[in-house]
Amino acid sequence: MRKMEGQEVELSVVDLQKWFPVRKSFVSTLTSKKTKYVKAVDGVSFDIAKGEIFALAGESGCGKTTTGKTLLRLLEPTGGHIYFQGQDITGIGKREMKDLRRRMQIVYQDPYESLNPRMTVHDIIAEPISIHSLADTTAEVDELIYRSLKDVELVPPEEFIGRFPHELSGGQRQRVAIARTMVMNPEFIVADEPISMLDVSIRAGLLKIMLKSGEAKGVTYLFITHDLAYARHICDRGAIMYLGKIVEMSDMDGLVNNPLHPYTVALMAAVPVPDPQIEKAKAIISGEVPTPIDPPSGCRFHPRCPKATDLCNREEPKLKEHGEGHFVACHHI
Amino acid sequence: MPILNVQDLRMYYSTLKGDVKAVDGVDLEVEKGEAIGLVGESGCGKTTFALSILRLLPYNGHFVSGKILFNGDDMLTVDDKTFNKEYRWKRLSYVFQGAMNAMNPVFRVGDQIAEAMLLHEDVEKEEAMDRVRGLFSLVGIDPDRVTNYPHEFSGGMKQRAMIAMALACNPEFIIADEPTTALDVIVQAQTLQVINDLRAKLGLTMMLITHDLSVVAQTCTTCAIMYAGRIVEYADIDTVFSEPKHPYTKALIGAFPSIKEAKRELVSIKGTPPNLLDPPTGCRFNPRCPYAMDICSKEVPKFIGLGGRHYAACHLLTGGDA
Ligand SMILES: Nc1ncnc2c1ncn2[C@@H]1O[C@H](COP(=O)(O)OP(=O)(O)O)[C@@H](O)[C@H]1O
Ligand SMILES: Nc1ncnc2c1ncn2[C@@H]1O[C@H](COP(=O)(O)OP(=O)(O)O)[C@@H](O)[C@H]1O
Ligand SMILES: [Mg+2]
Ligand SMILES: [Mg+2]
Repeated sequence: MRKMEGQEVELSVVDLQKWFPVRKSFVSTLTSKKTKYVKAVDGVSFDIAKGEIFALAGESGCGKTTTGKTLLRLLEPTGGHIYFQGQDITGIGKREMKDLRRRMQIVYQDPYESLNPRMTVHDIIAEPISIHSLADTTAEVDELIYRSLKDVELVPPEEFIGRFPHELSGGQRQRVAIARTMVMNPEFIVADEPISMLDVSIRAGLLKIMLKSGEAKGVTYLFITHDLAYARHICDRGAIMYLGKIVEMSDMDGLVNNPLHPYTVALMAAVPVPDPQIEKAKAIISGEVPTPIDPPSGCRFHPRCPKATDLCNREEPKLKEHGEGHFVACHHI
Repeated sequence: MPILNVQDLRMYYSTLKGDVKAVDGVDLEVEKGEAIGLVGESGCGKTTFALSILRLLPYNGHFVSGKILFNGDDMLTVDDKTFNKEYRWKRLSYVFQGAMNAMNPVFRVGDQIAEAMLLHEDVEKEEAMDRVRGLFSLVGIDPDRVTNYPHEFSGGMKQRAMIAMALACNPEFIIADEPTTALDVIVQAQTLQVINDLRAKLGLTMMLITHDLSVVAQTCTTCAIMYAGRIVEYADIDTVFSEPKHPYTKALIGAFPSIKEAKRELVSIKGTPPNLLDPPTGCRFNPRCPYAMDICSKEVPKFIGLGGRHYAACHLLTGGDA
């Protein structure tokens, strides 16, 4: 197993790719043009240490969700490898995947979509207990369900157990989703924008519930977010994505206080701050993210980059270390 | 004289389960040239408040009581026809929440904006299109793109076009409802820059509705904090952030992460925002308030002046006396 600064690597992603074929129109099928692809994730590599909370951030459409789902093999990778606790899980079969499905979990943005609307809270949590044979008797099942509801502060559990998802608030639904996840004792969790649909006043409480119960057990998290302010306060390290690539990766302090890639610099400058005394957020680059079908050549950011030169158009920059643990993919650092 | 003066406004929605008290006793003054931020969590009544002022409430929304003065004129005595012709879009304008996705896909963007002018003013189509081109450059869109269809616009461009549309008839006052909520952070910064520039250039008065404190902190001159159908605190923007007096304002600021501060534990507010079908009695924040006293569930706190233009509605500020 590889080591990171003396820490155990929980998850290692090497050159991960996920391309989606673009649906061809009838005419282009007839004229047999080559299939085009949305290169949603296009050569992404990172390691996450055991117990770490790692941020995957960037604007919508940059490939965060696709990365999260592909590394759990909820989507089949087009290329690359995923190592979980040292084991290459890229090609393993269904039977082996079943146990991994318990150990590697995902919490979605919209709990309404991830909870079966026809099941009660009791059954929603009982389901994974039965699938993974986590309890022997009904009494044990119920005890597990009660404990997990208490863990997510849905108390008293009796009050929630018989409800259906539509009888819960958004925050309560997300708590049920977390209870369902946590009851399986996962070792690694992809949290895909878990709070972005919730009210500001209850977000921190939800994060605490999700992260604290894992902290004690050494759970590792990939925290996917477009909100850099939350990432700053929750995560240890993180990566910034642009059009299917990681452009910068560092500890959160490095990303926030010392961004090096021109895109990260622009991103950080644009984050508004809840303090009128602080200098206003600025848009230091213009335009918007182009489509990942036929992305720009060379560095994908070059058409919007204030530092771009001919080289950036021609050659794709590699992710290189500039300062300890601070990786940047830019020709001009 | 304030450009907008709202007194004890109450607007409810009738539903099968009873009245949703979406706006329930709101007082608010907006001075000319100001940019006021109306901030609160989703469902607290921000959109309802805006729709009441513009008379755009859905069929089940009804006026209960209160006064709306625009430049001193009592809006509630103006009949609908006059309001449609003389006020809405012409003097007070609105950027709908989610407006950027509401453009009609089969008409050219420029035509949709010109339409607003043709409806309200005695202008020729040619002149209207010229003005649309002018508005496009004002909001930072290439004027040649007036002939584009909505799907040819990116998200940020659509939102700018909606702002241009709100400006079509040269209004004095513009209400923008969550204008950047659906946008990514860089496009949000671009859009807020456009809004700030417009305000400076055109001397607009504006109300920015948002759930995002940081957006208000960076664009507004004054701020009203709304909770469960009422304004709980109002002050100039610096005062709201440096000397918040209402426990809800304080808690909301505490819950809001800043990218510029050192890593810290984020604090949430216990409980959840109330259902406005049956809101808590007294101060509506009392079930979630760490400082709640006996009186808080019994009596509605008055909106009291704290010096200057700082107001808050909390029993703590009067030592618990009613
Ligand atoms: N199933 C799919 N088929 C085709 N394209 C997809 C699919 N899922 C995602 N994409 C595209 O891949 C890109 C990355 O999407 P996503 O991973 O959801 O980004 P993010 O989570 O960062 O917003 C986007 O351009 C998106 O439209
Ligand atoms: N047409 C309607 N009928 C009934 N209730 C409504 C209607 N529109 C909004 N509401 C309710 O009124 C309250 C205030 O809504 P709204 O003004 O949209 O809040 P905000 O804009 O602050 O999110 C909410 O509880 C909402 O569910
Ligand atoms: Mg996503
Ligand atoms: Mg609203």
